[in-house]
Amino acid sequence: MKNLNFLFAGLFFTIALPFGGLLLSSQIQLGSLSRAPAEEGGPLFPAREPGLAIQGRAVYLELGCVACHTQQVRPAGQGSDIARGWGSRPSVARDYVLQPQVLLGDRRLGPDLANFGARAKSDDDIHAMLRDPHSAGYSLQKPDFAYLYVLSADGKKATPTERAVALVAYLKSLRQDNASPEAKLKQ
Amino acid sequence: MSQDPNHRRSPGRSPGSQSRPPRGEAQLRGPFLLCFGSAILWLLLASVLGLIASLKLQVPSFLNSECLTFGHVVAAQKNIFIYGWASNALFAVNLWLLSQLGRFELRNGWLATLGGLVWNAALAYGVVQIFAGNMNGFNLLEMPREVGPVLIAAFLLVGFWPIVAFARRPTEHSFASQWFVVGASFVFPIVYALTQLLVLWCPAFGPVQALAHSWFIQNLMLLWLGASGLAAIYYFIPKVLGRPLHGYYLATVAFWTYFLFAGATAPSSLLGSPIPVWVQSVGVVASIMMVIPIIITAINFHGTLSQRGGWAQAWNSTTLRFVAFGAVSFTLAGLLSTVFSTRGLNAAVRFTEFTQGQEQLLTYAFLTMVIFGAAYFILPRLTGALWPSAKLIHLHFWTTALAVIGSVAVALVHGYQSGHQLLNPAVTMTQVGSASLAFAGSIFAVLFLIGHLAFALNAFSMIFSSSAPTASEAQSD
Repeated sequence: MKNLNFLFAGLFFTIALPFGGLLLSSQIQLGSLSRAPAEEGGPLFPAREPGLAIQGRAVYLELGCVACHTQQVRPAGQGSDIARGWGSRPSVARDYVLQPQVLLGDRRLGPDLANFGARAKSDDDIHAMLRDPHSAGYSLQKPDFAYLYVLSADGKKATPTERAVALVAYLKSLRQDNASPEAKLKQ
Repeated sequence: MSQDPNHRRSPGRSPGSQSRPPRGEAQLRGPFLLCFGSAILWLLLASVLGLIASLKLQVPSFLNSECLTFGHVVAAQKNIFIYGWASNALFAVNLWLLSQLGRFELRNGWLATLGGLVWNAALAYGVVQIFAGNMNGFNLLEMPREVGPVLIAAFLLVGFWPIVAFARRPTEHSFASQWFVVGASFVFPIVYALTQLLVLWCPAFGPVQALAHSWFIQNLMLLWLGASGLAAIYYFIPKVLGRPLHGYYLATVAFWTYFLFAGATAPSSLLGSPIPVWVQSVGVVASIMMVIPIIITAINFHGTLSQRGGWAQAWNSTTLRFVAFGAVSFTLAGLLSTVFSTRGLNAAVRFTEFTQGQEQLLTYAFLTMVIFGAAYFILPRLTGALWPSAKLIHLHFWTTALAVIGSVAVALVHGYQSGHQLLNPAVTMTQVGSASLAFAGSIFAVLFLIGHLAFALNAFSMIFSSSAPTASEAQSD
């Protein structure tokens, strides 16, 4: 350990080994994935996000929603995500091919949202959940996003801002309910 | 600077153990105090944000605005704690350690000062941007991407001096603390730059971004923060006890196995995620292999402390009381990480508060306590002044120790229980709600804040009351 060059060479190796062996090899293995049809001749999945959903993704990021919500359904045996109804199959790498920045998340204070669009009800329900979650029957720990809504003069009606509309469009666009070559849907 | 080339010491004894006047400390004063002073200010800010985050978990409507969403507060708190408090403090401590061990006199110290200023300015900009909502979705990479290159440049200016000190040491002999600091200072900027590239500038394919991010987090936690903390423990235990480390000959193995396996543990935090299964398995194996350096460092640290009344001595020394607390916490954190990287256990605790408890065990119970211990040793030597208040020192130790023990214990126990309950799909997230956890978290956050205020008051009183120091004014612990 007296030789600085030897020390640097060893340290460089300790960086290069996981970088090359894990990161680059994963990129090589997965990087060529593209959208695929659920059945031969069918539409390609994942579907392209509408423009409004892309704007909504920015709102999702700006508000820091990723601090409480993940977007990954683990396979059966790794938690109860599928049995809980958060997805009809585990998330696979192909589900994220269109996402410029994945938002997998690492903490769940709220439910997983990878397949939220498939289980969401109406736009009004989602707006109610965002504006006043406690009245809508959600956990007391869920914060409200009332600042995304404009109240009428009498305070009785709330109109969603463009950002709220975009956020709802994004949440509805989150779907992993198509069969994939890597993962079949739960029957 | 000269040194007897035939100078010999017993292996494992910290080189500074011999009685000699400290050298070069006056040159360190400016950069050290800049980095450490700003670290303390960031720590206070992180404590306030930690309290706000705990209260928001308890009462979501508390300070509810778009600027202060829970996501913003948590992201800002974590970035401030890691880059503002821990990294700034480590710049200072690492520089001091390597200067002592390598008998290095810092010339052109203005470069380090400039680096410290740039680092803090970039961080302040990044935190403001987080509150403004201009953030990324990756833990500890939330700051806008333009901050990254500035932080790397600042790191090269302020954080690279330990490597210079090591390269210019006047003797061929080297000590474990030097290896760990050199390793930490060498690895961090490279890993940070590569991650910025793969995640923010030229994003890799979908889930590979998550893998790159996980690799970055493991390197940040274990190799930058962790290795720097280990270096301080390797220095202060033999230094304060005045005896060589037990089983010191094993330290080389600990160093290389630690650096070899730490980076490869990354996939173990992504078990079940959409990344190749073989990559996940490599991560699990690497996590289990990490038990080798954990056991060796335990032999080195706890073996030394267990000989000839070492624990009692540690209790009676302010520095060693904090450092020994950190050493025990490191062993616990390492063993927990190894055990809970196995698939069965990981499936239950992943995404729960358990992982937050593990992170706090590493970053606070281990690293922060070691930094506090180092500060109690170094600051009097640099300022030539005594710590103004012994009561504040006691208050600082007891509040932070109780807060971190309570906070980590509650997070681990609640996370473990709720994780196992949630394996049953009939149990909802609301049923295992963390209201009690949030309440306890608020209590502990207040304790943290009190402890940090006591430390800040003591440290700044000492710094501002000191006159221009000379090395001979340094006092012993």
